[in-house]
Amino acid sequence: MVPLPYYLIVSGILFSIGTIGVLTRRNAIVIFMCVELMLNAVNLTFIAFSHELGKIDGQVFVFFIMTVAAAEAAVGLALMIAFYKNRESIDVEDVNLMKW
Amino acid sequence: MVNGYPLLTILVFLPLAGALFLIPVWKRPEWLRRLALGAGVVELALAGWLTVRWQAFQQAPGAPAGFLLWEDLPWIEGFGIRYTVGMDGISLLMVILTAFITVIALAVSWRGIRERVALHYLLILVMESGIMGVFLSLDLILFYLFWEVMLVPMFLLIGIWGHGRRIYSAVKFFLYTMFGSLLMLLAIIGVYLVHGSETGSYTFALPALVNTRIAPDLAGWLFAAFLLAFAIKVPLFPLHTWLPDAHTDAPTAGSVLLAGLLLKTGAYGIIRFGYPLFPQAAASFAPLLTVLAVVGIIYGSWVAYAQTDMKRLVAYSSVGHMGFVALGIAAWTPVSLSGSVLQMVNHGVTTGALFALVGMLDERAETREIAAFGGLWGKIPLFSAFFLLFSMASAGLPGLNNFAGEFIILAGSFRVSPLAVVLAFIGIILPLVYTVRLVQQLLFVTERQPLALADISLREGGVLAVLALAAIYLGVHPAPVLDLLKVPVGLLTGTP
Amino acid sequence: METLAMPAINFAAIMPETILSAVAMALLLVNVFVRSEQKAYLGYLSLIGILVTFFPIVAGWNAPVELQSGFNGAVLQDNFSLFFKGIFLVSAALSILISDQYMQREGCNHGELYPLILLATAGMMLMASGTDLMVIFLGLELLSVALYVLAGFNRDKLKSNEAGLKYFLLGAFSTGFLLYGMALTFGATGTTKIAGIAAYVAANPMITGNQMFLVGMLLMGVGFSFKIAAAPFHMWTPDVYEGAPTPMTAFMSVGPKAAGFAAFLRVFMIALPAYKPEWSALLWVLAVLTMTVGNITALFQQDIKRMLAYSSIAHAGYVLVGFVAGNAVGTAGIMFYMLSYAFMNIGAFAIILLVGRKGEPNNNVADYAGFGFKHPLLGLAMSIFLFSLAGIPPAAGFIGKFYIFSGAIQAGYIWLAIIGVLNSAASVYYYLRVMVFMYMKDPVEEFDWLKVTPAHALCLLVAVAGVLIPGIVPGYLLELAQKAVFF
Repeated sequence: MVPLPYYLIVSGILFSIGTIGVLTRRNAIVIFMCVELMLNAVNLTFIAFSHELGKIDGQVFVFFIMTVAAAEAAVGLALMIAFYKNRESIDVEDVNLMKW
Repeated sequence: MVNGYPLLTILVFLPLAGALFLIPVWKRPEWLRRLALGAGVVELALAGWLTVRWQAFQQAPGAPAGFLLWEDLPWIEGFGIRYTVGMDGISLLMVILTAFITVIALAVSWRGIRERVALHYLLILVMESGIMGVFLSLDLILFYLFWEVMLVPMFLLIGIWGHGRRIYSAVKFFLYTMFGSLLMLLAIIGVYLVHGSETGSYTFALPALVNTRIAPDLAGWLFAAFLLAFAIKVPLFPLHTWLPDAHTDAPTAGSVLLAGLLLKTGAYGIIRFGYPLFPQAAASFAPLLTVLAVVGIIYGSWVAYAQTDMKRLVAYSSVGHMGFVALGIAAWTPVSLSGSVLQMVNHGVTTGALFALVGMLDERAETREIAAFGGLWGKIPLFSAFFLLFSMASAGLPGLNNFAGEFIILAGSFRVSPLAVVLAFIGIILPLVYTVRLVQQLLFVTERQPLALADISLREGGVLAVLALAAIYLGVHPAPVLDLLKVPVGLLTGTP
Repeated sequence: METLAMPAINFAAIMPETILSAVAMALLLVNVFVRSEQKAYLGYLSLIGILVTFFPIVAGWNAPVELQSGFNGAVLQDNFSLFFKGIFLVSAALSILISDQYMQREGCNHGELYPLILLATAGMMLMASGTDLMVIFLGLELLSVALYVLAGFNRDKLKSNEAGLKYFLLGAFSTGFLLYGMALTFGATGTTKIAGIAAYVAANPMITGNQMFLVGMLLMGVGFSFKIAAAPFHMWTPDVYEGAPTPMTAFMSVGPKAAGFAAFLRVFMIALPAYKPEWSALLWVLAVLTMTVGNITALFQQDIKRMLAYSSIAHAGYVLVGFVAGNAVGTAGIMFYMLSYAFMNIGAFAIILLVGRKGEPNNNVADYAGFGFKHPLLGLAMSIFLFSLAGIPPAAGFIGKFYIFSGAIQAGYIWLAIIGVLNSAASVYYYLRVMVFMYMKDPVEEFDWLKVTPAHALCLLVAVAGVLIPGIVPGYLLELAQKAVFF
């Protein structure tokens, strides 16, 4: 049995990688993938805690997060397609009509 | 009509109602002018009737001492905010002055305003309502409401019909006043909370709040916030920089109202709210107030001397005259305070008249540079006669109104701060210097440019004659005014 | 592993959300059969839905606790949430009223607009009545996903695309923080119920030493700060507000912010009342930063939508002042303020929308030159909204500010109140600037393209009434707000 801190460390690392990715990457899809990475780090945290504490709430929460993430992905990718159609790029450097 | 219930409410809202009546005829300037003037005259008649009947009113039941008219209705109960208006002798004088000066302002803009006439008169009437409210409200939040309400029309008056850097001046005027009044709002909330936690009854009513015991250092801060708001309006010396700009760039009616009324609201605020709420703090601030007043008197006159623009000259002279008012308030003796209130009325009349005169000249010659004129005495004698009269009144010639006010202030303040009075005496002499120069340059030197000037019309003559009568009457026989002030001033200074 | 107990369901507790969602679904179906030039009917239908939703809200006021609580304590439809639901409905209704004209003009008159607005409103409602982190999260996402689409609704316009994309990326990013915070809090306390967290905190006085819990709460705070656009988490706001379709900007600037505040208040006030001095010290800094950054930056804006975006950041700062105060007066002040903000801000955007032409090439403050004289009534309405935003009596904005600053002074945050008031004085400048252009500059344009539809006039009328009536006689609304305070 793997002790809890291991899970937490892994999820912490994943979350950090995701955060840094969002802040440094320039391709909108990669940024979105990094956001997904953050969400999955959260999922891992929830499940680890849920298992450790013997409470099922965390796992229920994870299902909701996964569902919502799917909805978000649908909307997000649609937005990117719309943007791409007008700009022919999904580089956030090109998301510059208004100053950031 | 017990105690003239709802007279005060009518007094406050009648101009506003008049303003609403202007809307249906907004395309007919002739009607607008008459209608607006009619509303102003009705208001003046009401105020005059109150003055005549004043002695017949009894002390209103439930009202604080000295308030013969008094109305008190719940408004925002959750906060203890009430609609409380009351009138004592000081308010009465200010109300009369307001109604009077507004009529003057309506009359002097008869010809000068040709565009957006409806809005112009509407704003003047709305402002009259606001000023009436300021002079009558005895609930701090109600007072603050009217205080802000009168600001907006003036901002628009300067900005829309002004000259020169009108927008700059309008915004500067608004921001200065807004800055001060927002800090005052915090102080109002402060007093409210202190009073509430002390007595358990949360209220903004002035009569109740007057008895609040506030820790001295807190009271100092709160008084400072009130004083800042009022000092900007008066204006006291280092805070006066908005005034020359606003006066100079405002249309004639705007200047008349600004000098005649808005400046008075500041001084009135100190008398009605600042001192009574924080007597100890006010006493400790008195030296500062005295110094600022004296500096203002001398500085205002000094700078006025250097002006080449007539309106600017009159504006700076206002700083000096209002310094006298502040001096009398700072001394806070019955005599000096009566003098201050009297001087507020006097200044309203003379400076209002001077701005009206300068406005008439500006309308004719389209310049206000002193150097452009000369020899007016021979060309437009009636105008010149009035100009001479009001200039002399402004300079404090004995027998005219300003002399009476300034003399009473100095006499009343002498025992409190002799040095300040001696210095302020210089402030009586300096105006003489610049006024004599102004009169000489304008009326008597030989003509510098050939200007085709018409003498004053019947309407203008009427306006000036009324003002002249007031100036002479107040100068020769100020006793009735002082009688009105005796009771409230005695109550305020604690020497009934 | 415990087994799932059958929760006590009480549909009355989520009746408003249910109605709105049902109407939204029905509209999606109806939409298929409505021709594109008649999409306005969907708007009317959604307005009917909103009106119907007011009934359970009014009926639920002061209901007994057992009727308020539902889903095993996961939602609580108390007066607090009901007041906020009222705000959401008002802002949704006003935004719908001004939508059709704009969408037709910009050529993006798609029927999905109205269901999305209703769903976003339902999401806000869930956030306001959620007492379980899970429900708050779900409400937030329902709201956000709908808003991402609404921000990018004008799909042929690059600015709108950008707004949607930026909103989406930063919104999802901030959700990550919020969720990680929730996960850590769950790990530390073993529950996702706010009341459970509060019980845990009360039972474990050494909680301040529990770093996992602290980091969890902190991350949640960061997540909420993103949603209410508090500085320094505000960077997305101006771009999104500028690029989004104007009616949606109006909608976004009020509802989601109010919902964010509702959840933020609920979580921190209930879970951590004992540690208020600690977290309000952080919020103090946040409030000052938000007000100052918002106001100072707004001073330099030329685009009026962008200016109002920064002003909305500043307004979030004033609301944070009430949050820092943390007393009944401050909290009631927040509610009153958000309601009046809904009226005055949407009203201002309604005017901006009218003045704009297709593609909105004329959104600069300078484009309002002479507007006040060309259209006296619209100018008057705009002046009322601007003065209310600036907090000048007798407008509702003044009473709101007065209320909030009273709360702050009462709680002893004198300096915060002073900074707030100074900020408010500075803000007068940029609101006045619009007035200056409207009344003091000579008109360049004739504004002859301007057409006020009945729906639009209704929106303006309601907004003006909503600004002036509570400004002059606020008694009744103040009472409601005071009764809505949940502690």
